[in-house]
Amino acid sequence: MNPILIRQIKNAIVSITTTVMACAAALGLVLLALRLAGYPPLGILHRWIIGSVGRMYYISNSLAETCPLLLTGLAAGIAFRCGVLNIGAQGQFLVGAMVATGLATRWRIVSAPWAVMMLAVFGGILAGGLWAALASLLDRRRGVPIVLSTILLNFIALYAVQTILDGPLQAHGTSAPQSPEVQGAFWLPVLIKFSSLHIGIIFAFALAILMYVVNRQTPFGFQTLVSGLNPRAAKRAGIPVESRQFMTMFLSGCFAGLGGAFQVLGVTHFMTADFGNYGYAGIAVALLGRLNPIGIAFSALFFGLLDTGALRVEESSLGLPHNIANVVKGVVVLVMLLLIAFMQRRRLASIVSDSGGTSRGAGNLPESAAVSNETATTLPAPLDSPGPSAKGAD
Amino acid sequence: MIDIQNISKHFGAFQALKNVSMRVGPGEIHAVLGENGAGKTTLMNILFGLQQPDSGTIRIHERAVRIASPRIARQLGIGMVHQHFKLTPTLTVLENIVLAIGSGYLAGQRTGLIHQVDQWLRTLHWEIPLSATISDLSVGQRQRVEIIKALCAGGKVLILDEPTASLAPAEVEDLFSAVRALAGRGMTVVFISHKLAQVAALCSRVTILRLGEVVYSDSLVGTTLPMLADKMMGGGIVARQPEVGKSSPGPVRLEISNLNIVRNGVAVLSNASLRVHAGEILGIAGLEGNGQSALVECISSARSVKSAAGGSRLSVDPIADKKWNQRTWRRPVAQFACIPEDRRTEGLVMSLSVEANIMLKAHRHSPFVRWGLLRFARWRKWTLDRVHEFDIRCPDIQTPVGALSGGNQQKVVLARELTGSPEFILAVNPTRGLDIGATAFVMNQLLRARAGGAAILLVHADLDELLAVSDRVSVIYAGGLTPTAWPATSREQIGRLMLGVRP
Amino acid sequence: MNGSAENIVTFLAQQMVAAAVPLVIAGMGELVAELAGVINIGIEGLMLIGCIAAYVGAGGGNGSVGLAAGVLAGMGMAAIFAFVSISGRADQIVCGAAINIFALGASGTVWTVYRHWRGSHDMSVSLPHGAGFDKWPLPYLAHLPFFGRVIFDQYSLFYGGVLLGFAVWFMLRFTRMGLIIRSLGESPEACQAAGIRVRTWRWGAVLFAGGCAGAAGAYLSIMRTHAFASDMTGGQGFVVLALVIFGRWSLAGLTVGCLFFGLINAIQQVLQTARYTAHNPLIESLRHIPFQLFQMLPYLAALVALAVLSRNRPGPQALGQPWPPVSPGE
Repeated sequence: MNPILIRQIKNAIVSITTTVMACAAALGLVLLALRLAGYPPLGILHRWIIGSVGRMYYISNSLAETCPLLLTGLAAGIAFRCGVLNIGAQGQFLVGAMVATGLATRWRIVSAPWAVMMLAVFGGILAGGLWAALASLLDRRRGVPIVLSTILLNFIALYAVQTILDGPLQAHGTSAPQSPEVQGAFWLPVLIKFSSLHIGIIFAFALAILMYVVNRQTPFGFQTLVSGLNPRAAKRAGIPVESRQFMTMFLSGCFAGLGGAFQVLGVTHFMTADFGNYGYAGIAVALLGRLNPIGIAFSALFFGLLDTGALRVEESSLGLPHNIANVVKGVVVLVMLLLIAFMQRRRLASIVSDSGGTSRGAGNLPESAAVSNETATTLPAPLDSPGPSAKGAD
Repeated sequence: MIDIQNISKHFGAFQALKNVSMRVGPGEIHAVLGENGAGKTTLMNILFGLQQPDSGTIRIHERAVRIASPRIARQLGIGMVHQHFKLTPTLTVLENIVLAIGSGYLAGQRTGLIHQVDQWLRTLHWEIPLSATISDLSVGQRQRVEIIKALCAGGKVLILDEPTASLAPAEVEDLFSAVRALAGRGMTVVFISHKLAQVAALCSRVTILRLGEVVYSDSLVGTTLPMLADKMMGGGIVARQPEVGKSSPGPVRLEISNLNIVRNGVAVLSNASLRVHAGEILGIAGLEGNGQSALVECISSARSVKSAAGGSRLSVDPIADKKWNQRTWRRPVAQFACIPEDRRTEGLVMSLSVEANIMLKAHRHSPFVRWGLLRFARWRKWTLDRVHEFDIRCPDIQTPVGALSGGNQQKVVLARELTGSPEFILAVNPTRGLDIGATAFVMNQLLRARAGGAAILLVHADLDELLAVSDRVSVIYAGGLTPTAWPATSREQIGRLMLGVRP
Repeated sequence: MNGSAENIVTFLAQQMVAAAVPLVIAGMGELVAELAGVINIGIEGLMLIGCIAAYVGAGGGNGSVGLAAGVLAGMGMAAIFAFVSISGRADQIVCGAAINIFALGASGTVWTVYRHWRGSHDMSVSLPHGAGFDKWPLPYLAHLPFFGRVIFDQYSLFYGGVLLGFAVWFMLRFTRMGLIIRSLGESPEACQAAGIRVRTWRWGAVLFAGGCAGAAGAYLSIMRTHAFASDMTGGQGFVVLALVIFGRWSLAGLTVGCLFFGLINAIQQVLQTARYTAHNPLIESLRHIPFQLFQMLPYLAALVALAVLSRNRPGPQALGQPWPPVSPGE
């Protein structure tokens, strides 16, 4: 068999094993902590599993929960891969949801149900994209770091949405910041009756696969990867780095906005001031998926199961909140970061021992280890790479 | 004084030092010679406590010591001046010295230290304002700060790691007289270099390392430069000197007229004009920091390419454009090649494979992409051809370039940039950090490209290499370009021009 | 509220200072960490953990125990961050984001578990009597006009924060420790060559930042409000991040920024509570502006300030870079 293929498979197995290990370790750590606090870990685990996959109803709810996580995860993933630290999926998600809500309720400009639905979805996409583009523009024009501008824009979006939900988009007969309900005709079609599993999940998974192909097989994917790893070298080689980063940022916002629109039209059907933390969770999803769209799909699924199962844990008489899922998410990311750091050190050692024998290659190792100071945003690893070209020695 | 015995050091499977022994006496200026990767820097890092040996002993004053950290090295009286200065640019001279050697709690416990610094400055006849911020000093002044820092720290042993790499000829002379003065006071100096002439001028004894082993360690008396070169390169392999052929200048490929660039209110380039013709190498000589980077930045981001008779012609507008460095250089991919100054940060993506790095420019053009999708089989074939053509030594083309040696990394850059007969090549310090063999390879590739009709602008800090390959040379000093100097002007005169002295 | 203009000014000034205290305290820690080259966007999470830890710690009846618990919890979380990002050399931004998610979950979980344990089934558990801190008007000084109320009638942590501020300023400016910290973020290789243990020092800076953030969280839960609510920091940690940059990595700039945002915050609170009750014509006229816009104002102002000011100084050169640098070949 082709040695490149073998190496790729080996790499895939290694990264999948790492990820699964991280998930198991995180869950184990949390359960251990609960055990020390006097809770029955096995009982909790049992409820957790039942609550996420025990019945068709739970499974479909888990999948419905996966949808926004997958889209915000993709949003964070593609941006990080290009070296753009978009922490703002939360704000883009909210803005997308708000615009979709408006276009499906009070600001309908078309009448056909499918047209309303489409318009709402595309409005949400565009709103999210523009919200992200704003951060990118502030970076390019005014030198505001994307990390900070997106964080601040999250809060600006939050209060802007609340203002609008308290004003022009407030449901009649209420004083709370809450939108009117979207009419049933404009809801996204449901896949399984009486559950909240809507067709958005299919689109979300399709988008993950599409992004995978784009990343690996197109010049755009290659250029965004290079722009993320070493923007100066990319620029010297004629890759329009700023434009790639801007496009990536816009695309990232589009994904998050789409997640918001789907969430309103498919699951909640109206909007309140408290609309979840999907944007922030997306960062964790992206990292757990190692910025690879397929990996992101799986990690979003894992988080969806965690969230839905945690509801069942909360319902039980143990007195634990569903917030426990967030604890697991945080721990999983931290464990994952540690594992990646550990693996990287091993990888370096293996590269050195490989090439040291064949050439004098490793002779400059101490030099390069001491001097190199890449300007690229340093993400943990060359996580997702296009084609056989990028994966080096494992 | 210093007695190093049987030091060995591994990095993974790679043996950087093998049973290295060396003795240096008091008042001696001892050279450590060797190619890049021969182990010089590793040995000195061990002596300075930055790395630990796997085996072997170090004796200082006949006493076996374990140098666990630079702090201990300093207590033993060892000071080191690194090739890349270890100064914090935002702090002042005095603060940097306090940072490195101060032991008190308050940064203000300075009177004793200032006195000490003053004494050293007077000994060496130097003047450095102690309250100046490092970022305002020139390279030469920074090196003096480093030396003073090392002297204040211990003042018995001074290690100089490639100290002349970025100095002007006159500055080198000044440094040498300072070093001699120190040795005259009984100080031990270890001088690391691969410039044989400088070693011969300064040192009394030499230790030559090759592939981590000592091949020669004795007095310099009675040796000749070719002999030393042979020992460094491993017997008989004499460095090929790039041969200069006859050039027949063709049409103008690059034209810059009256270019002014102002950055942060300072004119970094004033009225710079130059022309590069097809089939010639125009060298730009000059000490670092005299406007080269602005010139390079400006050329590599230039956009306007005009089709002129006999090929395209790159013109740089004579307008001061403060947005130069923000521009993206898009168009002239095939015709315009750039060998950037720092291959690590500008030339290569270290974590990607050799293949991806070679394809960095060409990947979006016709044979390598079809219907918007990349064709990896074509990539592979193309890359293998380049690897053979440029003799890139790598286990396979999927190896990350970061795992290759410096010379092979530079070959990857050359393979990407010089393939497809570019019409204009901008090369900036293309041999920095390379050993003699790799240097010759790079220079020969440039000569080959010139023979193929390329116009080459070579901005290079090493004057000898520059003069060896250039057809014409201009000197850049304080943002101004002299009219064409070489070969009408002698090497000494160019050296003076580099310091702003009119010949 | 008495509607006289003078009273309103005094009240606003006092509220401004009171609102600025947690920002300044957390900001000092973050400033030191960033000067040392570590950016911790998990500071929001550290503050949140400080809030809940202090609240639970004060549940035994002793506010000082609560304060200590807040500080220790902040340092504990900071230790996790330091272990992953400094020792493990992982990306600091991603690591900080993970800390935020974890802190949100952990504070909510602990809060629920604590309520359950205290046998409360409604949404709150009140602090035992005397466990929360009250204001500590300084004798004599508190009776001064204006300043008496504004700066001599504050919570004890305000005075502590002022002292700490002077200590940090002195440390950064006049001690060798300050030189080292300023060098760590600018040129860690210079520190290494000087025999300074870069990672150990960065650990110290991050732990200090964690303790500060924990104290700031404690201030929110057991001083200013005597209550805990899920996600009660409400993004103040993120504002701190922006303010450190806004203040261009100087303590004075940071303090000015914090006071400015404290003022906006105070105005916002006055309007939010007073828009239906006050009889001041100024407030009357602002009644029709949605109060959420005022909540948004600090963030908007921070963004505008960054856009207007941030071009010139890029900050510590090695900020966010792990040490030793992750070689691009790895």
